[in-house]
Amino acid sequence: MTKLSISMLPAAPLHAFEIWGNPAAVGKRFKAACGFALPALGRSDGTAALRLIRFEPTVWLVEGDASPLASILSDDGAVTAIGGGIVRIRLSGNNWRTVLMEGGVFDAESPTFAAGCSAATIIDHVNVRLHVVDETTCDAYVPLSFSQGLLHFWTQAADALAG
Amino acid sequence: MITFSFDGKSYTAREGDTLAAALLRNGVGLVGRSFKYHRPRGIMTAGVEEPNALVTIGEGGRTEPNTRATDVFVYEGLVAKSQNRWPNLSFDVGSVLGLAAPALSAGFYYKTFFGSAKKWMFYEYFIRKAAGLGNAPTQTDPDRFSQRAAFCDLLVIGAGPAGMQAAVEAAEVGKRVILVEQDNILAPSLLRDPQAQDAAWIKATAERIRAAGGRILTRTTASGYWEHDLVTLTQRIAEPGQIPPHNVAQCLWHVRAGHVILATGSIERPMAFAHNDRPGVMLSQAVRTYVQRFGVVPGKRAVIATNNDDAYKTAQALKDAGAHIVAIIDARPAPAGAGSGFRVYNNAVPLSTKGARHCLKSVTALVDDKTVSWDADLMAVSGGFTPVVHLHMQAGGTLDWNEHAQAFVPAASRQNVTTIGGAADPQAIFKMVPVSSPKKSFIDFQNDVTLADVDLAWAEGYRSVEHLKRYTTLGMATDQGKLSNMAALGRLAEKQGVAIPEAGLTTFRPPYTPVTMGLIAGAGAKDAGAHIRRLALYDLHAAKNPIWQPLGYWFRPRAYPTGGETLAQAALREAKAVRNNVGMTDVSTLAKFEISGPDAAAFLEIICATTVSKLAVGRGRYTFMLREDGVVFDDGTVWRLDENRYLLTSSTGGADRMATHISYVRQVLCPQMRVSAVNVQEHYAGIAVAGPKAKSVLATLIGEEPPRHMSTVPASIAGVPVIILAASYSGERAFEIYVDASQAEAVWAACETQVNEVGGALYGLEAMEFLRIEKGHLVVGGEVDGRMTPHDLALDKMLNKAGGYVGASGLARPALAETRRRQLVGLEAIEGDIPEGAMLVTQEGASPVGHVSAAAFRIIEGGSVALGQLTDGFARHGEELIATSPTRGQKARVRVVVPHFYDAAGERYRD
Repeated sequence: MTKLSISMLPAAPLHAFEIWGNPAAVGKRFKAACGFALPALGRSDGTAALRLIRFEPTVWLVEGDASPLASILSDDGAVTAIGGGIVRIRLSGNNWRTVLMEGGVFDAESPTFAAGCSAATIIDHVNVRLHVVDETTCDAYVPLSFSQGLLHFWTQAADALAG
Repeated sequence: MITFSFDGKSYTAREGDTLAAALLRNGVGLVGRSFKYHRPRGIMTAGVEEPNALVTIGEGGRTEPNTRATDVFVYEGLVAKSQNRWPNLSFDVGSVLGLAAPALSAGFYYKTFFGSAKKWMFYEYFIRKAAGLGNAPTQTDPDRFSQRAAFCDLLVIGAGPAGMQAAVEAAEVGKRVILVEQDNILAPSLLRDPQAQDAAWIKATAERIRAAGGRILTRTTASGYWEHDLVTLTQRIAEPGQIPPHNVAQCLWHVRAGHVILATGSIERPMAFAHNDRPGVMLSQAVRTYVQRFGVVPGKRAVIATNNDDAYKTAQALKDAGAHIVAIIDARPAPAGAGSGFRVYNNAVPLSTKGARHCLKSVTALVDDKTVSWDADLMAVSGGFTPVVHLHMQAGGTLDWNEHAQAFVPAASRQNVTTIGGAADPQAIFKMVPVSSPKKSFIDFQNDVTLADVDLAWAEGYRSVEHLKRYTTLGMATDQGKLSNMAALGRLAEKQGVAIPEAGLTTFRPPYTPVTMGLIAGAGAKDAGAHIRRLALYDLHAAKNPIWQPLGYWFRPRAYPTGGETLAQAALREAKAVRNNVGMTDVSTLAKFEISGPDAAAFLEIICATTVSKLAVGRGRYTFMLREDGVVFDDGTVWRLDENRYLLTSSTGGADRMATHISYVRQVLCPQMRVSAVNVQEHYAGIAVAGPKAKSVLATLIGEEPPRHMSTVPASIAGVPVIILAASYSGERAFEIYVDASQAEAVWAACETQVNEVGGALYGLEAMEFLRIEKGHLVVGGEVDGRMTPHDLALDKMLNKAGGYVGASGLARPALAETRRRQLVGLEAIEGDIPEGAMLVTQEGASPVGHVSAAAFRIIEGGSVALGQLTDGFARHGEELIATSPTRGQKARVRVVVPHFYDAAGERYRD
């Protein structure tokens, strides 16, 4: 079994992409401009340059170059920078699902929580957003102020599991 | 072999021994002293229901008192101590209480120790000395306790043959299965009573469960069954007192199950007869467990007392192990037991025993109305079987009475739970009634409750089983009545002249077995329950070794002392720097929301009680927010960054509440609006620069003329884009600089360099408090305390006259316009320093007319000033009052004034 590696990813631009009207039209414009459809709730889609993860009914987390999004939205939504307040923590290895159950309430061990899935949940009292990158990698989007504490918490949990 | 110690003496055990098995193996019969009478007690059971053999395990912070010797597996170096005895277990001075037993019956405390509370404090000292269980450890537990969630289609509780079969069948059809066993091995009952399923079957079945993706947890007890099929599991990763691997001693599992199968079996019942609590009197199945599983024979000459067939297996096991079965006392008439090959006495019930502190010597029974005695060093008792229905009942289930088994069995389930195996279908028994003297016939061994205590409670009018329980203390402590409840119910029913089901039942509450407090606290046990929120600039602050102050979940610098300064000295120096020169501080924790869209202004005019739509781009204003009842609950500033983009700031402490409020307004009140409201509290780090030189410092930093008061511009500092807000909380010309938190360090460093250049200083929360009090600015949680209206805070002139904001209707309530309301005032000391939190009274002994919400010293001139809330305060300016704090023994004479002690005209804000 691969030992779990837990690390903070470098700071990156993150945005909240919110639609308040004409979702079908926005979706059509988005697909035409970006080449993929807006992902459904609890799912992600995108490319290396631009990835969208839908955590809320009308809000997507945008990772990467958000510059084309404002014009796609026009008057039907807004893009807001939020990256300064979010730290991305990557959990790599076979045990990431088990570690995420520590202090959690979400079923990260479910086989249906597979690559491309996302979830917004609470782990050890902290609001966390999860995105399954692949079967051995999950990215957690953690509030900056809690990131050190949660990193410590997960590292301790991973050490205990490794035993 | 494993070495362990009990009461300081070293013994050896075999791998897999429980402490109870190891003590019996070493011939230790006396293990504890009873709770009230200090009677000598031995080992009665082989499971979690053990009432007698309670010991303290471990040392230092790992000490675990009241651990059942039957529920701890011996490890190398285990240290166990007996409890509730002095000076030692064998010679216990407290046993003289046994002589006073007639006076110490049920309700003794209630009848004896009454009077004032002070008297009780006196009694309590002696009661605690004389009675009790183990002592709680005084040192911090060095280990960690984890909590985790789990989800499954099927949770099977109890890994006996029935449970294992259910688990493997479900796992192999693709269900997610968790199988739980509180013992350290699977199917332990098969070691006691070998069946067709042997060790090979156990091993193969466990492998099949795991191969199908199932999870098996041993040393794990299902401790509680909650709503929606949530079951809590207590997993022991290390034995009590043992140094755990990776520091984690136990794990609390929160399992959500689609379906739960309870294969929890049943617990054997003792019988009530005189001196049934002596060392050497054990439950029949427990004896069999020690013989068959552990290879320990607890006695050489055994008497078996039973009302069922199961005890004959014990007789056979003992015989096979070389013990002599002196007699089998069977309550059933002949031909029960005939053909067993043992000397069976039918129509026989035990009457009493004799023995010494450490052992049993003889057993007396009533056989066909004649008294018969036998010499014996072991008595194995089987009074029937009580199904373990605790989890079924915690899940809201009901029970049926099974006449054949004389036991309650699970009936209707209100959740997705099914009971199988022995817990659903206990063995048939013969109904018997105790005939022995009730005075020494114990039914609750842990609490020294006898049949006579139940009789006394009945005689004194306690009819309800719940009252009986509390009066006699029956069914309390670590075993929670697992052995005693049925006997008590039987006696109560007998007294009432009804059948047992009609006598009532006590409530089955979690936990099923004791759970340590550390496990309930989980990871939060060591750090007050939650993570501390770190500032984006935490490392920069920490390098200056500030005094930290908790603020909600945040830790913020309170002051930056230098050269041995006290907090007060440092804070005053920092505040003076702001008044005379320039200071800078971290305001990153303020709540911040970015509101965008064509309807942003309209949306904000619902959130805020002030006008917003008239703000020009690049301008900002002070604002406040109301609850729906018209009471102020937060304040802050609102800034128009662009045509359709605003930044709203509010208090640190109210940040989460404000986020909830904005979400409520957006999603419930205004779902139709074209607006996006995003919480950017942590996206932006904030730095405030304040003081007469703030403007010139900022001009140097941004390379242009800074914005005028209550204006905002985008700018760049150290090459990093920032938003500058010209706002002041200190009363000086001041700016708040907001920057993407990931780039805040460079901006802070540039600001600090420039501030230092002109002789300024960093300032913390203490100085900020001095500054804002002197200026008369509000703080949420202080002056804004959930009771004050805009009028009470003299903010009413700022209300949006068009209305439409949350709280506008509530504010129109006549009660809020009445006199006698508390109103914001300033207080100047005439004599003495004003104590914060003091009551305001007109004269000594009078009722309070208000209180001091915040107090400070004038920064430059000196002298004590404060803000307060005073009944009809606006009309009382000039009045003299007393600010008194009896709890601190402090008071001051004060004069009521307007709540602005510094630059009331606001001239220092303006260029």
